[in-house]
Amino acid sequence: MKDILQKITTTAATKFGANYAEARAQQLTKTMFTLKEERVEAAKQGIESGVAIRVLVNGAWGFASAGSLDSTILEEAISDACRMAKLVSQRLKTPIKLASAPIVEDHVSAKPKKNPKDIAMEDKIKNALDITKASLSFDPRIKSCGLDYMDLMGTSFFVNSEGTNIEQDKLYVWARITASAQTEGTFTFSREEIGSTSGYELFDTQPSEELGQKVAQRAIEQISAKPPKGGKAPVVLGPNVVGVFVHEAFGHLAEADLALSSGLLDSNMGKKIGSDLVTFYDDGTIEGAFGAFKYDDEGVASHKTLLIKDGVVSGLMHNRETAQKFNTHPTGNARAEDFRVEPIIRMRCTYMEPKDQTLDELLEGIKEGYYFKSFRDGQASLDGTFQVGIQEGYEIKNGEIQTPVRTASISGNTLETLHKVDGVGKDFALDPGRCGKGQTAFICDGGPHIRVSEVIVGGSA
Amino acid sequence: MAVLEKNFLISLAENAVKSALKLGASEAEAYVYDGQTTNIGIELGQISKTNRIIDRGIGIRITLNKAIGFAYTNIIGDPQAIEATAAQALSAAKASKPDPDWHGLPQNKPYNTTQGTFDQKIVDLSPEDLVKITVTMLDAASEVNQQVLPIEGGVGSGYAANAIANSNGIAAFDRGTITECSLATLAKDANTTTPVCFEFDASRNHHLNPAWVGKEAAKLALSALKPKPVPTQTSKVILTPLALQDLFAYTLMSAIKADSVQRNQSPFKDKLGTQVASENLTIYDDGLYPGGLRTAVFDGEGVPQQKPPIIEKGILQNFLYDTYSAKKTNKESTGNAARAAYLSTPNITPSNFHILPGNKTPQQLLSETEEGFIISYLQGAHSSNPVSGEFSVVANPCWKIKNGEITHPCNAIMLAGNIFELLKNITIIGANERQMGSIIAPWVLAEGMKIIGK
Repeated sequence: MKDILQKITTTAATKFGANYAEARAQQLTKTMFTLKEERVEAAKQGIESGVAIRVLVNGAWGFASAGSLDSTILEEAISDACRMAKLVSQRLKTPIKLASAPIVEDHVSAKPKKNPKDIAMEDKIKNALDITKASLSFDPRIKSCGLDYMDLMGTSFFVNSEGTNIEQDKLYVWARITASAQTEGTFTFSREEIGSTSGYELFDTQPSEELGQKVAQRAIEQISAKPPKGGKAPVVLGPNVVGVFVHEAFGHLAEADLALSSGLLDSNMGKKIGSDLVTFYDDGTIEGAFGAFKYDDEGVASHKTLLIKDGVVSGLMHNRETAQKFNTHPTGNARAEDFRVEPIIRMRCTYMEPKDQTLDELLEGIKEGYYFKSFRDGQASLDGTFQVGIQEGYEIKNGEIQTPVRTASISGNTLETLHKVDGVGKDFALDPGRCGKGQTAFICDGGPHIRVSEVIVGGSA
Repeated sequence: MAVLEKNFLISLAENAVKSALKLGASEAEAYVYDGQTTNIGIELGQISKTNRIIDRGIGIRITLNKAIGFAYTNIIGDPQAIEATAAQALSAAKASKPDPDWHGLPQNKPYNTTQGTFDQKIVDLSPEDLVKITVTMLDAASEVNQQVLPIEGGVGSGYAANAIANSNGIAAFDRGTITECSLATLAKDANTTTPVCFEFDASRNHHLNPAWVGKEAAKLALSALKPKPVPTQTSKVILTPLALQDLFAYTLMSAIKADSVQRNQSPFKDKLGTQVASENLTIYDDGLYPGGLRTAVFDGEGVPQQKPPIIEKGILQNFLYDTYSAKKTNKESTGNAARAAYLSTPNITPSNFHILPGNKTPQQLLSETEEGFIISYLQGAHSSNPVSGEFSVVANPCWKIKNGEITHPCNAIMLAGNIFELLKNITIIGANERQMGSIIAPWVLAEGMKIIGK
């Protein structure tokens, strides 16, 4: 494979005038199934192999991909990528340049304790059925539950015209469990995701029964929950919500491509935009984490990147193109969902650093507010407005966690809200997730419990 | 674009079905896909990237004593790879469990003809042509105002063909084209950066209006400058198609899927024939809408696409079915089994979700609203509760309506409620419909919306 890819980059440079060329190849197999209650909807297996070619010609990007190693098809792809790049380069005001990156030759092997390949699909299905059975039998009001399972294994190859040459094993194991409850016209829904890059041992971290019951219990609890009151309120956020808050309220603004568009963090670099308690990282080096990998899809080693330190904006997430614009080093955040598409700047494991408070200390002194424990999606906007949906929340009255509330969400403006973080816990949890930015990326979000003195709570009561 | 021939794709599918049956499958189905796109991309105000993506593959679904297995590959040039894929589908079925509710793959049925879904001119577009369209769009944006930054966008052309064959004798081919252009803009002044504003045009035929897209995207960003805070209140709200699509996609569209109904996940269970929405509201899922972005001859199982009524004058008429959910309850599939190309098994999905227009012009709608808000984009709609229909989202950007006129932009507001109540509170429907992804809709006015401001 290395030879084929090297021939591509050489051909692009010598025959079609590319100033820079890279070729990625992937050979992946996927195993998937969907359970609906105790029924297997379909057991699925797939093979995805292909090549991506990306070139810079006179400062413009050209990209082509093909699901084939046929030399005629590849030559056509190289020619198309270079021709199209040359075509648009004629109108460029600011030609694209790349920050330098170390030349790497490496072979990264996955070392799972339990290799998904060695586990029969029957056994994977049986294990998953234990989870849905535990959900269904938890309470008669649980009317449905579902489970989507995926494992992905294989190898990705990266070669560029500067001499970098990387072969990297890919391994992901992931599942999403959902449950819904119904009684007297009230419908509720709950979900949970688990995911890892270590191996099938992911399922050893918690017993199947516990996982199924946890999802079911949340759906049951929601039956008696009331909508929260809409308006400003103090909140305590659990690690699962803090992770998404960090991701949506800050993370996207700190992706250097979006930072360039909005200018929000660009203009605040080195400035204090949050309380002293606020320190965020985006870290691609946490072993086994769903968002971790050794090299990104530009062949740059993944870093632990400091984004904000004690409230001061300290760094952004870069690819080679934005690193050059900011006169800094690439951080290993260039990721492509697969061979079909080009790499863009994505988060990895984004989290808030813990401090020293207990949950009780955070709750203390809140007369009326909310404790938001588990999220259901969220979305950022470049003007700094964030939204995080909540699937599990409770009222706080006089410092105590009280009755559950349903379908809340929180919103605010990042530059105002980070100043209002006035308590940070000493615990820590990192949860797997999937982020959509045109392409899907596997990520982690996390942090400790925190208290925010004021956010806007979207409630219908 | 060099596209694969109809007969070649059909025979690929038929041969895969034969292979699977020979290996011992009880039933077999093969779906072959040939997709090609070319895109010219804008970043930070300039055209700086291009791509050309060819994606081809085959997905094989088989049953073995009512257990279902599926396998796919993107290597279609090699008959051995396809046979290996059929064997994989079979081994997956062996690992699976029989489903007593499985009553077979669909039978061959006559297809309807579709209109306006393929245009050779799109296939023939050169990258040079696409660049010209991109330049027209960007120039139109900068003519409105130099302060508006076109942060992202581009122009693309796409071709997709698919062939399907199954062991009940279905063997069919369809192809379609699309072109689209889009521009995301924002504007800045001393104190504010606007939220991202967005305009686009998409068509199955080669007539885009890039100048209009550029101009409108720029005007939208300018009109979002200098927002004012809004107090918490209950108010009338005009939802534009983009906002409506976001809100419906994660709530109403789940509730009308037969699968959700059968699994007790839809408040619409037992509600057929009853009033579930205001009598102004009529919705068809029109899989045959001329030139519709999701119009096709057949769905992902080879079943003819149709035009099932969903809600007529507020009364719930029908759910959306694939073959499995239909046969489970002795119904007919509505042709709503969609696939993610060759990569997935079919899933129930709306085609062109058509909210029938009313007779009010935008100006009439605004003046009859008198006081309220108009919302073009929702943030966080995917965090809605897909089962209960509850939502708690941010409207950003949004504008205030006063004395029947749009007066000024507002700081992001939150909107909380329940889709099933909202449906009953839709009082006026505009005449200005447009297509937006899976939806064809006009402006609609909903009353009694809970707005949470600052």
